[in-house]
Amino acid sequence: MGNEEEDEVVAEVEAVEAVYATDCVLLRSFPPHFHISLKPRTADVSSQQFVEAVLEIRASPQYPKEPPSVDLVDCKGLDEQRQKHLLNHIQSKACELSPCLMLVSLCEEAVEKLSAMNHPDGDCPLCLFPLVPEDLQSETLPFMKLMSCFHCFHSECIIRWWQWLQSSKVDSANTDSTPALRNQDNHKKMEDSVGNCPVCRKPFLAKDLDHVLALVGSYSSQMSLDSDEVNDELLQSEDEIIRRQKFEAILNLQKENSGLIEPKKDIVILPGMYLPQPVAVPSSMLTKESDEQQEKDPSAVVSGNGGGTSNATGPSSSRQRNSGARRQKARSDKHSSSTVRNPRKPVQQWVRRDDPSNKK
Amino acid sequence: MTSSSGAARKNLSKIACNRLQKELVEWQVNPPTGFKHKVTDNLQRWVVEVTGASGTLYANETYQLQVDFPENYPMEAPQVIFLHPAPLHPHIYSNGHICLDILYDSWSPAMTVSSIGISILSMLSSSTTKQRPEDNDRYVKNCRNGRSPKETRWWFHDDKV
Ligand SMILES: [Zn+2]
Ligand SMILES: [Zn+2]
Repeated sequence: MGNEEEDEVVAEVEAVEAVYATDCVLLRSFPPHFHISLKPRTADVSSQQFVEAVLEIRASPQYPKEPPSVDLVDCKGLDEQRQKHLLNHIQSKACELSPCLMLVSLCEEAVEKLSAMNHPDGDCPLCLFPLVPEDLQSETLPFMKLMSCFHCFHSECIIRWWQWLQSSKVDSANTDSTPALRNQDNHKKMEDSVGNCPVCRKPFLAKDLDHVLALVGSYSSQMSLDSDEVNDELLQSEDEIIRRQKFEAILNLQKENSGLIEPKKDIVILPGMYLPQPVAVPSSMLTKESDEQQEKDPSAVVSGNGGGTSNATGPSSSRQRNSGARRQKARSDKHSSSTVRNPRKPVQQWVRRDDPSNKK
Repeated sequence: MTSSSGAARKNLSKIACNRLQKELVEWQVNPPTGFKHKVTDNLQRWVVEVTGASGTLYANETYQLQVDFPENYPMEAPQVIFLHPAPLHPHIYSNGHICLDILYDSWSPAMTVSSIGISILSMLSSSTTKQRPEDNDRYVKNCRNGRSPKETRWWFHDDKV
C-alpha cells in the first residue's frame, strides 16, 4: 500500500520532468526534491521577458499529505517584495492542494504568477522616476533591460550613461598612455566593448544596447545632456511608437488573460522584434576599409549606426568610432530604411573637468 | 575647508537637478538611519549629519558630511568630504577626505546620496582603531591649495577596515 503511493509520487515527478525537460533538475525522485527554472509565458519573446525564477521544491516522505517546502533559489527582475509575494502564493497554494498530488500544479501556478508579474517594477535606477508610469497612455519613457541580469532602465537613461562611459574612456586613454600606444588601446577597448550594469556590476555586452542605440542613432549627433527636443524626437520616432504600442498590447493581453498570452491575429509578436535584421557584410569589404577613407567620407563615419556609441570629437577619437561602427556593421546593419545619414558634425556633448593630472 | 574652490563649479544640468530633487524627496520620506539632512536652499551642496551607530567606536558621535554635486551628476560622482573635525579613522584624512572606492573609481550612477551615506557609516562601524591613515600628513600637505579628493589618484587601502 505504501509502495503504491510511492509509485504515484514517482510517476508525478516523471511527469514534471516530462513537462519541464531541461528546466527541471531532479535531485531526488523520492521523496521528491528538484529545482525548476520558470519563465513567464511570454518568455519566448526575449525582449518581453522581465522576470524569471528558479524554485526549489522539496517534499517529505509524507508528501502529498504534507505539502512540500518551496524556496526561491535564484531569480531575475524580482525585488524582495515581489519575491515574497511569489513564494507566499506558491506556499499557500501547496497547503490548499494538499493532500492531492500537486507538483505540476505548483509549477504551473508559479508560471502563472510570473506571467502576471512580467513587467519591470519600480523606478529607473538612473533617474529614479518610475519605469512604467501608472498611466500608460501618457508620454511614457521607453525602457529596456540588460540581458545578463534583467535590471531595467529607461532606454534614454542607459544610453546617456553608456555614451558618457565611452567618452570618459577615450579621455582617460588619451591622458594615460603615450600617443603610440593610445590608438591600439582604444581600438582594443572598443572592440570588446563590455559594460557593467550600474546596479549589480554584472558585465554585459555592448550589443545588448544595440537595439536602443539604433533608435537614437540618427539623433546621436544632437544628443546632449539635457536636450528636451532630442528626447521628444526619440520618443516620437516611428520605431519607438511601434515598440511602445506592441508593449502596451502585450501588457493589456497579459492583464486580460492573467498572463496567458495567445497571439491575436492582428498583433504579430516576433522574437527580437526590436532587433534590427542582421545583414551579412562581406568581410573583405570590412577589412579593406581604411580609417583614412572613413575620415574623409563623413557618410561612412556615421553609417552602421556606430555614431550612436561614440560621439566624441577630435581626431583621436575617430579611430574608435570607426572601429566601433565597423564592428557593429559586421554584426548587423540595422533598419537600413531609417538610417538617415546625418552629415552634421558630431558635437561634443560632455564637458569634462580638466584632469588635474595634466597640470602637474 | 571647502576643497571645491579649484575649478569654478558649473551649474547642475537639468537632468542632475531632476534627479537630485527626486533624491531629496525620497530622503525626506525615508531618510537612511543615522543621517540627517540639513536643509538649505542649495540643491548642489548638501550637508548631512551622520551619527555613529551604537556599539561601534563612533557611537553617539556626530559628524558632518559635505556633498557637492557636479554638473553631470549622477554620471559623475559627487565630491564627499567630512567637515572639520573629521572622524579619526584609518581611511579618513584629517582634511576630511575619505578613501572609499565608490566615491571615485567604483562610482556608479545607480548610487545615491543615501547609499553613499550607508557605505560611509558602515566604513565607520567596521573600524577597530581610531587613527589617521599612515600617510595623513603627507597627503594633507599635498592638498593644501584646496585640491578636491576627486583629483587624487587613490590607491585603496585593504577593505578590511
Ligand atoms: Zn530613467
Ligand atoms: Zn544588473
